[in-house]
Amino acid sequence: MAEDTLPELAQGTPTPDGPMMARPVRPAVTLRSFWGNRSRPEGTGTGIVIVGAWGALVLGSALYRSDFLSHQTLLAVTFTMAIVGVLSVGQALVAISGAILDLSVPTALILPSWAIVSLLGQGINIFLVILAALAVGGAWGLFNALIIVFGKINPIIVTLGTNFAGAAMLNILFENAQTPISSGLAKWGQGKFLGLPNIFWPMLLVVALAGYFVPRSRVGRHMIAVGGSSQAARARGISLRKTRFAVFVISGMLSGVAALLFTASDLYFIPNDGSNFLLPTLATIIVAGIALSGGAGNLWLVLLSVGFISTVTTALAFYGLSDVWQQPPPGAILMIAVSIDGYRRIRSRR
Amino acid sequence: MSKLTTRWVRGTLAAAAIVPLMALALVPMNVGAVAAAASAKPFKVCMGTGGQGLNWQTGQGQVLQSIAHKEGWSSVVLSNNNSATTTVNNVEVFIQDGCNAVVEFNPASPGDVPAMQAKFAAAKIPVITFDVPEPGAYFVGIDNLKAGIEGGQMLGKIIKSKWACNLDLLIASHAHGAGTVDTQRTGGMITGVLDECPTIPQSKIVNDEGGGQVSVALPAGRNVLAADPTAKRIAVVGINDSTVVGTIEAAEQLGRSADIIGWGQDGSLVTGANVDPHLLGSVFYFLEGYPEAALPLLKEIAAGHAPPVKDDTHNNPEVLLQPCPVTAAQARNVPGYSARLQKLMQSAAGTTEYALFCPNK
Amino acid sequence: MTLSSEGVIGAQSPASARQGWGRFTELAGGAVGSIGITLVVVVIVGLTWVGGSFFSKGNMTIIGQAAAVPLLVGTFSGFALLAGVVDLSIGSNAGFCAVVFAYLAAHGWGGWQAAGVVLIVSLAVGTVNAVALVGFGANPIAATLGMLTVLRGLAYVVCYGSAGGIPKLIPGLYSFTNREAGPLPLIFVLVLLFVVGATVVAMRSRVGRHVRAVGGDEVAALRAGISVTRVRSAVLLLSAFGAGLGGILWEGQLGGATNLLGTGLEFQVYAALMIGGYSILRGGVGNPAGGAMGLLVVAGVTDIIDVKAVNTYYTNVIIGILLVLVVFLDRLRGGDSFE
Repeated sequence: MAEDTLPELAQGTPTPDGPMMARPVRPAVTLRSFWGNRSRPEGTGTGIVIVGAWGALVLGSALYRSDFLSHQTLLAVTFTMAIVGVLSVGQALVAISGAILDLSVPTALILPSWAIVSLLGQGINIFLVILAALAVGGAWGLFNALIIVFGKINPIIVTLGTNFAGAAMLNILFENAQTPISSGLAKWGQGKFLGLPNIFWPMLLVVALAGYFVPRSRVGRHMIAVGGSSQAARARGISLRKTRFAVFVISGMLSGVAALLFTASDLYFIPNDGSNFLLPTLATIIVAGIALSGGAGNLWLVLLSVGFISTVTTALAFYGLSDVWQQPPPGAILMIAVSIDGYRRIRSRR
Repeated sequence: MSKLTTRWVRGTLAAAAIVPLMALALVPMNVGAVAAAASAKPFKVCMGTGGQGLNWQTGQGQVLQSIAHKEGWSSVVLSNNNSATTTVNNVEVFIQDGCNAVVEFNPASPGDVPAMQAKFAAAKIPVITFDVPEPGAYFVGIDNLKAGIEGGQMLGKIIKSKWACNLDLLIASHAHGAGTVDTQRTGGMITGVLDECPTIPQSKIVNDEGGGQVSVALPAGRNVLAADPTAKRIAVVGINDSTVVGTIEAAEQLGRSADIIGWGQDGSLVTGANVDPHLLGSVFYFLEGYPEAALPLLKEIAAGHAPPVKDDTHNNPEVLLQPCPVTAAQARNVPGYSARLQKLMQSAAGTTEYALFCPNK
Repeated sequence: MTLSSEGVIGAQSPASARQGWGRFTELAGGAVGSIGITLVVVVIVGLTWVGGSFFSKGNMTIIGQAAAVPLLVGTFSGFALLAGVVDLSIGSNAGFCAVVFAYLAAHGWGGWQAAGVVLIVSLAVGTVNAVALVGFGANPIAATLGMLTVLRGLAYVVCYGSAGGIPKLIPGLYSFTNREAGPLPLIFVLVLLFVVGATVVAMRSRVGRHVRAVGGDEVAALRAGISVTRVRSAVLLLSAFGAGLGGILWEGQLGGATNLLGTGLEFQVYAALMIGGYSILRGGVGNPAGGAMGLLVVAGVTDIIDVKAVNTYYTNVIIGILLVLVVFLDRLRGGDSFE
């Protein structure tokens, strides 16, 4: 397999991933990858597992009901993929850069959404609204980054705190919001392009741009280096501060993009709707094999992962499970997926 | 200073802070209560609002406080935060606060937290429950089951006239977290549709979890519709307007909205400039105005003539509010939530929203 | 090899009372330190803003009843944190167990038998967690998030036929959970005693030392002959057991259970435990006494906001700010720094 078929991001040694959350003790010896062959692109193993599981799901469902393979199913899945996909790219960048997780996804999504809808309601031009969404999203990321960098506090704790406060503030600020039906955004959000939802294509673009530019741009390579080892990165002269700010601002702007897709396709929302997106986002990057210890991760796998997870709930409906039984299976799949992943890592260390 | 000494100092300080704290805790201080008993206290009415993120739930609290203010009563409004534990904890707060009457919108269905009524009964505080009957409490509200059935029948009539009862799919979008309100409203709507069209087979009825919100009903609706890719004539019912509109929007996204009709409940999305064209109607409860309907009862309690609580509150409510089923066309003449709330607060005490706003009384 | 946990008593011979006091303050100072100050601040705010009635028996009942179950669940889960494992499924587990308990009791099971079954169920959940996290080496946050979703869904399923909740007031259990022991609720006092016991176990016993060793430095613990897998599995079982016990008590307090019970408990508990000195990122730090104070701080803030009828969303705003502030102050005192 050619090296650049799957653009991978890990440039150095795969990080040893133990069951602990914290940065593990680093052995002096370089570990061999799962295949024992370092020329394999990073994440191939995980990718194969996801594709395999996805394939099995699709095949099984198609055998169970032949009308599973229809354009309707494709639409249902791709609509669901769009918003979570964009949020997952942002989350992946956070994880890859060694900032572990950003738990403030709910606020990061709803704050720009509220801005979008408020501005549209006042008749502001759509291009300005888009800029505003990116700005507000980026500002939230900046806010988190300021606390993380100057407080020198772990991002997972900071974002847990800022989300507690932020989601509550949103509830105090507004009770519900509507995207004007007559607006171009609403019309665009319900439409399709080349047979797939309009909101799907920006997500694809985001994944493609991130997947291409992160390993090739200076900022991206700095992110990976910092995620791999912040001391080593600093020794190489990389500014940790600038990198952290970049990660969170970019991730915040991506939530602004997600907010545009959200308000375009969901025309009426309340502040607490944001909390529906946290778990799927985390599940997506974890199933995609993005190491929470940082320094490695394949953004194309994020696309596969969000596709797989989105297909699960649709498939469940075909099995007659559209009601309360819809909740347990995705959780079980997440558990199984990370168990398989963990097992692979343990075995690769022996 | 050595490390041990700093810890000593810190530890001693901490202990010095903790010990009196513990001592204080063991000595109950009723200073506040004693001071209050000295002066005559006004009638205190308290409310626990639903806390489910729905604007009329906050509205109920605001209207109650406005009423109390007009009557010269004092009032306390807390949110039950859509949580059974918060609800029961708020009960304790109300009891300690010396509430003379409590109004509850219990987000955890009745009887699922028997502790609530048990505590109020032990404290001998009269309780009024909104919309969700509770044994031992006065019931003020809509008959949710009847409202559901009426809404379903109105949709059923349209299904009969439009499609001669031949539809391909009836989606019922539930919110299982809402307990009996969901069972009665959504279940009632299905019953109402079947009343008009008894020939619709069970196989064409699909229940999904719409969460009572557009953001949950959307993906759920997409999955249900994808799982029935050939269904063309689709009808939607649900626990409220949001869940029905979410399901309809899902059909629009999948390009299946040519022949879809829906009927909502609570009227929250059937007014204003953004009404979905496929939402043919809803049922107004004018929920934010419930406290006005409870006012006569509250006055009786305040005057010391609390009527006996009826035994079977479900079939024998203290105050029964009328639901106001409306078609989307009729709803155009009904003001939106904020306008209604404002008008209500400015009206004379005891005016009901039904009297003010229902287009077909 | 030194253990990095706070409040560890060094191996010194207790010669004099001065040294004894020194060891106590070391435990208290280390463990209690900034969280003690935070708690004092909360009390002061309560007294000045709410007034003397803040410490009235009625208000203590409110706080005690509200804090009892989170405190119980949090203390059990704190052991998992000490061993370096985060169990995010505790809220859903407690809710699920409460629902199962109510269901069994409502279908003719005796209270004790139903409780026994529920505790076994909670241990089964803990076992699955242990298999995934320890056996397969799954990432704890991810795997327990998955379990959270599974259990929440199962709670919905159990409540499906009964309109979203199961009422069953068990008279003996209800009166037990509402009984007072002096000015405080009995269950609150019992849980506080449990916290004391847990602190002793965590900080002074061999078991506690092993748990903290595993959390502090896994490799070193292995070299010292401690079975890391056994310890990690045990704390996960303990965490799940605590959730089950909490669920049973909840059912007692409420006289029933609903399908939403326990939603969000894990975030609140872990935020509070972190305010109290634990870390969800590394093991070996914190202790039950500190964690309990963190939970009491949260309970106190919630109570002040409730009693003053302020918009309850402000509780979460304050918790968020407190969390970041406390961790920041902890870092200034020499805690971990994130670069």
